[in-house]
Amino acid sequence: MAEWTEVNFGPQHPSMHGVLRLRVKLDGEIVKEVEPIIGYLHRNAEKIGELQFYCDNMIYFDRMDYVAAMNMEVGYLEAAEKLLDIEVPERAQWIRVMMAELNRIASHLVWLGAFGLDLGMLTPFFYCFKEREKILKIFTEVSGSRQQLNYMSIGGVYQDVTDEALDHIKTFIREFPKELNKIESLFVKNDVFISRTKGIGILSKEMAIDYGVTGPMLRASGVEYDVRKAQPYLVYDKVNFDIPVSFKGDNLARFLVRVEEMRQSVKIVEQTIQKLPAGPYFNQKAKKPLMIRLRGQGEVYARTESPKGEFGVYLIGDGSMRPYRVRVRSPTFKNLSVLPALAKDQMIADLISIGGSIDLVFGEVDR
Amino acid sequence: MNILLRLQLFFQITGHYASYFLAYIFETIFFLIFVVISLIAMIYIFRKYMARLQLRIGPNRVGKFGLLQLIADALKLVGKESIIPKLRDDFAYKAAPYIVFIGLVVGFVIIPYGSFYWIGSLTITHSNVSLILFFGAIAMMPIGEVLAGISSHNKYAVIGAFRGIAKDVSFEVPMMISAVSLVMMDSALSRTSLNFETLVSTQFIPFGILQPLGLFVFMVAMIARSSYTPFDLSESDSEIVSGYSTEYSGMRFGLFYMGMFGSIFLGSLVVSLLYLGGFNGPYSSYAGFIYLLIKGLILVLISFLIWLSMPRIRVDRFINFGWKILLPISIINLIWAGFLTLGVIS
Repeated sequence: MAEWTEVNFGPQHPSMHGVLRLRVKLDGEIVKEVEPIIGYLHRNAEKIGELQFYCDNMIYFDRMDYVAAMNMEVGYLEAAEKLLDIEVPERAQWIRVMMAELNRIASHLVWLGAFGLDLGMLTPFFYCFKEREKILKIFTEVSGSRQQLNYMSIGGVYQDVTDEALDHIKTFIREFPKELNKIESLFVKNDVFISRTKGIGILSKEMAIDYGVTGPMLRASGVEYDVRKAQPYLVYDKVNFDIPVSFKGDNLARFLVRVEEMRQSVKIVEQTIQKLPAGPYFNQKAKKPLMIRLRGQGEVYARTESPKGEFGVYLIGDGSMRPYRVRVRSPTFKNLSVLPALAKDQMIADLISIGGSIDLVFGEVDR
Repeated sequence: MNILLRLQLFFQITGHYASYFLAYIFETIFFLIFVVISLIAMIYIFRKYMARLQLRIGPNRVGKFGLLQLIADALKLVGKESIIPKLRDDFAYKAAPYIVFIGLVVGFVIIPYGSFYWIGSLTITHSNVSLILFFGAIAMMPIGEVLAGISSHNKYAVIGAFRGIAKDVSFEVPMMISAVSLVMMDSALSRTSLNFETLVSTQFIPFGILQPLGLFVFMVAMIARSSYTPFDLSESDSEIVSGYSTEYSGMRFGLFYMGMFGSIFLGSLVVSLLYLGGFNGPYSSYAGFIYLLIKGLILVLISFLIWLSMPRIRVDRFINFGWKILLPISIINLIWAGFLTLGVIS
């Protein structure tokens, strides 16, 4: 007969990502039961989306996964442009891929730093954020803001990438792999880090598929599935990159997969700079005065690969200027659902590190 | 002539016993001032060092180079409202920070500091068993931490206190065994080997070279005692909020904070005394204190580097490390010390 201590982790707990609340039943140091409670950041973005014009929804998608706003915009626009039947010019597609991959690097860097903090490493956090800051500077240059970018618009992007910005991206891409190696060695050359991650929180392949886990977490469990390869959107079929896969399924595998993904993103950005075609950067049909008058009919589901996993957007249009229904498949929500199963019968410290390895961003879970 | 006798001469007008009494009191007060100033300096060094490692600048607003930042922080902590939980064990809750701090201060008072310039020996406690006294004094600090955890009736604090107990039990034993092997070897050379000063003055070769395993065990145990990052289980901020000090605020928290940095400094001083030759060196009757401080500071910087580059070790692995790795190593070291002693005697 065990006596349980019920402890609340969050929403104001120093280690919790965003506003996750975990009700944890503890038997000494052992976690017996975890119940994630979500909804503290619910902003009703999907319902608000039904009250807006199609082009206005972008800002609500920016605020979903706020560390990877470009990827959220790509996800929404994939659906919206299919519904509104707008073609995107070649140049805009390449720019979108470039920005999405840069933002994927930024998002993974945030995760890397936060994961270090979860394990009690303070120092790598600053190295990660220094690199992320360079990306945010590039974003400021092209879009005018750092995090809630609102850069892409229906039928293209808000403004063209200048040569100066391209130069800055080139410099960043040239220097980043070295810095990434440095950051990675801060982690993997540390025995204590290896002992905290290797064999901890093993997610088997079957379980990952059963729970609907996607993204780096799924690939760390040995499933080679990436929407960018499985169902290429934009120009992902014209760029050359690999999908990093690990068969271990533990925290270390998730760490390594994300680090490798950053290297692949660097590769993609390099190719987009080389192959960036000239031409218009937005579709004349969707230029600014006409943008709000776009009407859509029918239903559309589009999926894209956000840094967290498969990000799906479902839109229904009833022929008016506003969508009838907006629905989002949030990858982090699905990935979070696996936490109670993974953390059962583990130590408290492992609960925190498993939670950290999921890459939680609460704007997207609660929407 | 040491500082105590000088003070006694100064107070001689008050009579024999009273002058000794006053001399002790004043020397202790001088040393406490030294301790507080060195702690403030150390926290400043820590913050600057941490900032340099983390690509930041560190405190640079208050005073020149931010030198007065720590004083500003201390004033802020003193002036802050101390929020205390309603369901507390009042006496234990209020006594706990002081127990930690007193344990630290007594530890500082007991260890010898060598001689400095014309002042002579700076040692306060002239006891034949100062080693035992010292271990007794620093054993008070975990008691304060455990009391703080249990008396504040907070689940995080209780978990932190339990972790603290597990940590201290598993690290105290190897530390004591390695101290015993020092005393054993020293007893071949002198008759009062439970005394810090004898232990230091007999180190023609530093004990760290003769007993490298002992140095390793003692250093790790001292890191564990000061509970910073690889071993900060009892206050791991990402797991159990702030551990035993969760419910403390204001100056009570400040005392815990000082206790932590103080025990890093104290631990470094003791390791350099016991294993690195302490205040021995050329002209040690003039500059012994400086040698001790330099050795201590180098060890403090090494500790900071460990602190800032390591993740937190998990509690079960930590206890395994204490019992299954450090304890055997310290016993091997004890046997090795026994052989050395036999060699010295014969």
